[in-house]
Amino acid sequence: MTKRQSRLFFLVSTACFSLVFLALTLHSHTRFGELTNADKMDAQVIAGKDVWHSNNCINCHTLLGEGAYYAPDLTKITQQRGEAYLAAFLSNPSKFYSEQRHRRIMPNPELSETEIDDVIAFLDWVSQIDNQGWPPRPILVSGATFPGTNTQKASGVASSEQAPPAAAAAGEQLFSDAATGCSGCHSIAPGVDLAGPSLAGVGERARRTVTDDGYTGSADTAAGYLRESIVAPSAHLVGGDRFSANGTSFMPTNYGTDLDADQIDALVDYLSTLK
Amino acid sequence: MRFRTQRVAYWYFAVALSLFGLQLVMGLLMAAKYLGPDPLIDLLPFDVAKAMHTNLLIVWVLAGFMGGTYYVVAEESRTELYSERLAYIQLVAWTLMGATAIVGYMLGWTAGIKMLEQPYPLKLVIVAVMLLFFFNIFMTIRQAGRWTLTEGVLIAGLVLAALLYLPALLPYDNYTVETFYRWWTIHLWVEGVWEMIQGSMLAFLLVRLSGADREVMEKWLYVIVGLVFMAGILGTAHHYYWTGVPGYWLPIGGFFSALEPVALVGMAIYAYAAIRRSGAAHPNTLAVHWTIGSAVFTLFGAGLLGLAHTWPAINKWTHGTLITAMHGHAAFYGAYAMIVLAMISYTRPYLTSNRPERGQSLGYWAFWLQVAGMFGMTLSFATAGIGQVYLERVMGLGYLDTQLKIQIHFVMLVATGSLFAVGVILYIVDFFRFAPLRVAAPHDEGAAPRHAPGTV
Ligand code: HEC
Ligand code: HEC
Ligand code: HEM
Ligand code: HEM
Ligand SMILES: [Fe+2]
Repeated sequence: MTKRQSRLFFLVSTACFSLVFLALTLHSHTRFGELTNADKMDAQVIAGKDVWHSNNCINCHTLLGEGAYYAPDLTKITQQRGEAYLAAFLSNPSKFYSEQRHRRIMPNPELSETEIDDVIAFLDWVSQIDNQGWPPRPILVSGATFPGTNTQKASGVASSEQAPPAAAAAGEQLFSDAATGCSGCHSIAPGVDLAGPSLAGVGERARRTVTDDGYTGSADTAAGYLRESIVAPSAHLVGGDRFSANGTSFMPTNYGTDLDADQIDALVDYLSTLK
Repeated sequence: MRFRTQRVAYWYFAVALSLFGLQLVMGLLMAAKYLGPDPLIDLLPFDVAKAMHTNLLIVWVLAGFMGGTYYVVAEESRTELYSERLAYIQLVAWTLMGATAIVGYMLGWTAGIKMLEQPYPLKLVIVAVMLLFFFNIFMTIRQAGRWTLTEGVLIAGLVLAALLYLPALLPYDNYTVETFYRWWTIHLWVEGVWEMIQGSMLAFLLVRLSGADREVMEKWLYVIVGLVFMAGILGTAHHYYWTGVPGYWLPIGGFFSALEPVALVGMAIYAYAAIRRSGAAHPNTLAVHWTIGSAVFTLFGAGLLGLAHTWPAINKWTHGTLITAMHGHAAFYGAYAMIVLAMISYTRPYLTSNRPERGQSLGYWAFWLQVAGMFGMTLSFATAGIGQVYLERVMGLGYLDTQLKIQIHFVMLVATGSLFAVGVILYIVDFFRFAPLRVAAPHDEGAAPRHAPGTV
């Protein structure tokens, strides 16, 4: 090869591939609107993006998998945590995690209430972006057991007297399934509170709760209470101000609509076995 | 130093090395924060340390590029610089910009976009400094009336790098679109135009260190840069996979980025073959180490470790984990830190007084401690990252609980990072040991090799 030829190779290949790249870029622009739901990108979402930027969140967290690796990915966070929880967390993160236990903690970003609402709206918009189904399975913030495995039972924490009926087994699957998300907030180990209280012994506890004087919900059986806890979390609040604020539970409120009746039955059956 | 004004390079290198040292302080601090708890959480939280770490990196490497370019352009065009004073003004402006950014981050003044955190006014200063730089360079070449391909590629790389920074000056409402164009800057820098800079510096050094034939070296330089762009431009798509773009970017990104290592293999062969032909006869053995080291470490860090997670089916699981940090360190160090250190090692006997040209043991310790330390850091990030991918991404353990299980790898990171830092300290000491020269040395070091192979 002569120098002339090598120069020609350089010029032609660079020009060709640049052109292809530019053409595809132009085409991508015709698709961005639809892929990112640009119509839902209102003033609040854009304001939330500015909050995200001006607080340097990207240098601890990843979003869409890009950023820093010191803190959890937040791409789908609003699908795992309710808005009430996120608002409470962002107004005082140290209430929810202990530096002793996890060895790192989010400093209080000192956001105003509007800023908090805005950044949550932004994160919610991000969570709807059509990004080829990434992440392939949900990334949880915390959770000390492997979802979908039976490690809990093997360790004896959740053992019930008899073998659980089929519905309860299905409920356990659902509970541990990262897409449902219960195990991202609830452990079933005694004393291990995550974003929600530990559900160790909740089957037994439910029986006592419904007969308790302080009970504010409308169920009259243990199973009824468990169902109510899932479909209407705020009907009766447990655990104090770490888990709710102004009478609103931090547990998401969408389970009543997003899960079908069989699934809720299975979850109730499963939770009833936790004694 | 053939031309008096080449001495500006010394001060660019001095600034670059000082900021390099500061960058490592931030790196070690972050590694300690991984282990936690963090006593500095209110003073210097992780996000601030990381912005400082990556920005210092970019600022010092670019200072090294600029200093190196001044040296190369004077030598290749065989002339004094157009304006030495302008070069100093440019250096002061650049350093002040860097310092302001660092202080700004501590005070919460940031644009909050990864690696482009510089607040808007500082972005404008960066553009102004680059314009000043190009003006000085172009006037120098104009006054000389001649230029070589080696310096042409070098300058083209820098001009394109400045142009690719421009998308970062535009505001974007849509986060996906913002991310899309962030990669025009970051990816097309490190896997595109910066490789022109690395390639031409390699060519410059190899011609001098090995006495390789300039015509042959420049011919292959075209081929290497052509290969870089052939794969690297469409390879940008390996950052697009999961950000909300049309699906065709996945196969395109996978295929073309997988071809990127071809150019890096070419670069390593290029360096190895040139030195082999001369039997490494040049007395500046350290410069030879750094030059070959850069080509080889790039092949490892960028080529091999980039390839390891560039295919969509793998990247789906590794995206945004410590695997990315593993690759980022090895690649950036091999390609851009080492090439700047090679330029400094080659030029410093001519820029300082009484420095022996032949490598001394301090310099060797600096080289091997850094290489060993960076290799160890890469392994630490890699083992931590593999653990993270399996526990968190594949098995579904919570993020925070996973991080607790991989603490031992962070201990390893602190240990190997410290080893690396010792190597860097030795390099800095070695650099500042000799006072800068004020006048041009009498000896000639033009394009022709001063040491015929085997004679020394
Ligand atoms: C200094 C690093 C740091 C910065 C900056 C930071 N975070 Fe965090 N964030 C964390 C850590 C660490 C966690 C994990 C929970 C904990 O330990 O508090 C976290 C957790 C979260 C969670 C998940 C909480 C949960 O339980 O689901 C959200 C949401 C969040 N951060 C949002 C933000 C937003 C929005 C910003 C910017 C305004 C931000 N973070 C800035 C470190 C950071
Ligand atoms: C975002 C975190 C979150 C998720 C996800 C979540 N919960 Fe909760 N859950 C909470 C919080 C916080 C409480 C306590 C406040 C309250 O009483 O609602 C709670 C309370 C409960 C209780 C009552 C506990 C008691 O001791 O009385 C039950 C039962 C329960 N959750 C079941 C579930 C099930 C089943 C799922 C999955 C379908 C689920 N939760 C998902 C946060 C969550
Ligand atoms: C003492 C040595 C060093 C240590 C301990 C160290 C540590 C770290 C840590 C902990 C991070 C943060 C990763 C995260 O986001 O969670 C980081 C980021 C980074 N460092 Fe270093 N570092 C060191 C030296 C270097 C050097 C010499 C270079 C380049 C030549 C470098 C380049 C980078 C880059 C490019 C990033 C960003 C990576 C990314 O976000 O993907 N570091 N470093
Ligand atoms: C000299 C060359 C290179 C340097 C300096 C470099 C540096 C980096 C850095 C700093 C990142 C993190 C960027 C961010 O998240 O903001 C990154 C990401 C990445 N690099 Fe490179 N790289 C180089 C070459 C390559 C090559 C040749 C390949 C492929 C063969 C490659 C594949 C990747 C991939 C796939 C990612 C994305 C990781 C993720 O999904 O999180 N890189 N690189
Ligand atoms: Fe890339």
